[in-house]
Amino acid sequence: MIAGGTDAAVRMKEGKWRPEVWINIKGIHELRYISEKDGAIHIGPLTTHTDIIRHTLLQKKADVLVEAAREVGAIQMQNMGTIGGNIGTASPAGDTIPALYVLGAVFELRSITSVRLVPIEEFFIGPGKTILKKKEMITNIIIPPQKANEIGIFQKLGPRKAQSISIVNVAISLLMGKDRKCLGGKIAFGAVAPTIIRAKKCEALLTQQPLTDEIIQNIGKIAWKEVMPITDGRATAAYRRDMASSLLERGLYRLLRRWENDGEK
Amino acid sequence: MMRKILFTVNDAPCSITCHPAKTLLDVLREDLDLTASKECCGKGECGSCSVLVNNEVVCSCLILVGQVENQNVITCEGVGLTPHLDHIQESFIEEGATQCGYCTPGIIVSAKAFLNDVDYVPSVDEIKTALGGNLCRCTGYSKIIQAIKTAAEKNLKELGTV
Repeated sequence: MIAGGTDAAVRMKEGKWRPEVWINIKGIHELRYISEKDGAIHIGPLTTHTDIIRHTLLQKKADVLVEAAREVGAIQMQNMGTIGGNIGTASPAGDTIPALYVLGAVFELRSITSVRLVPIEEFFIGPGKTILKKKEMITNIIIPPQKANEIGIFQKLGPRKAQSISIVNVAISLLMGKDRKCLGGKIAFGAVAPTIIRAKKCEALLTQQPLTDEIIQNIGKIAWKEVMPITDGRATAAYRRDMASSLLERGLYRLLRRWENDGEK
Repeated sequence: MMRKILFTVNDAPCSITCHPAKTLLDVLREDLDLTASKECCGKGECGSCSVLVNNEVVCSCLILVGQVENQNVITCEGVGLTPHLDHIQESFIEEGATQCGYCTPGIIVSAKAFLNDVDYVPSVDEIKTALGGNLCRCTGYSKIIQAIKTAAEKNLKELGTV
């Protein structure tokens, strides 16, 4: 099945697969949509990254996903690549996936005879591996809209600013109370484990005390222990640990600065 | 399995009979003799194969021709040909923004898509973002960026006189 083709066509050219039959789903307009109904945001799997970046509803109620989509490749890839494809490819370094983790996304998977809803945390099994069955496809991505006091940020480290694969990335979403008091939050790291991972120990610290500079530095140090990166062609495990820690710290600083400057959305 | 595929290239209807999994880039170069778009990295990192599909810039080396059935494709040849060059192409010549020329058609296509959307002279940072998917290994980009600025100025001047 081919949508944007940014992964599928590359794999074909590299000889990793050569399907006898391609099913081109790119033109199915019914699967390309962004809407809000019954208190949830629905995103069709064929929605492109450019669609996401430009959509005002998502800018307001899924800010972290918009930021992540902006970091995917460059304009060409954002125009071609679809969110369903980014999910289905299941790369541990996929940029939109950590954002969908902290937003608590649920995927609708359909075959001709069945339909099931699967929370994102149960969907990915390993690099390139998901629980998607042979004749199933992703038909809807459902996310709860962010509240007025909920703010998110996506931070990425790549070899250069545009068009690069993540060495480490992190998505953060915080539910803020008065001043620097955080009422709840989620943190998800990419490219530091076989799948995207939630940093649950860091998350537990978010709500203990107001997020002072000292607490933020501590949370960064906890992240260093919580991630489980490997050494590969892009970076060493030690570098990834250091960067995971720094990205989280920087992300939290930036997010709080935004909160203090802009307040509720 | 060969199939007949209909689409529009540079505003002209086009009918091609080939395997639908042939890349759009190969069809443009081999079947239609439109050789401006180039294959370089072949995996969507360099932008040498950039074309517009329905006015959005994409990598033609990763699109299968079956996927552009009934769609509208514009290549660098469609942006302008001598003597009717686009402002972007004129500016590239004036500013000396080309060296080996391999990346130039892709950059011109990206610049075209970008300038279609702006009605002011863009900043250097905006141009850099718009060209993030196009690599040039000769020029160091400053002349390319200047050429796109010059083209934007020409576009504005023309708008002002209409």
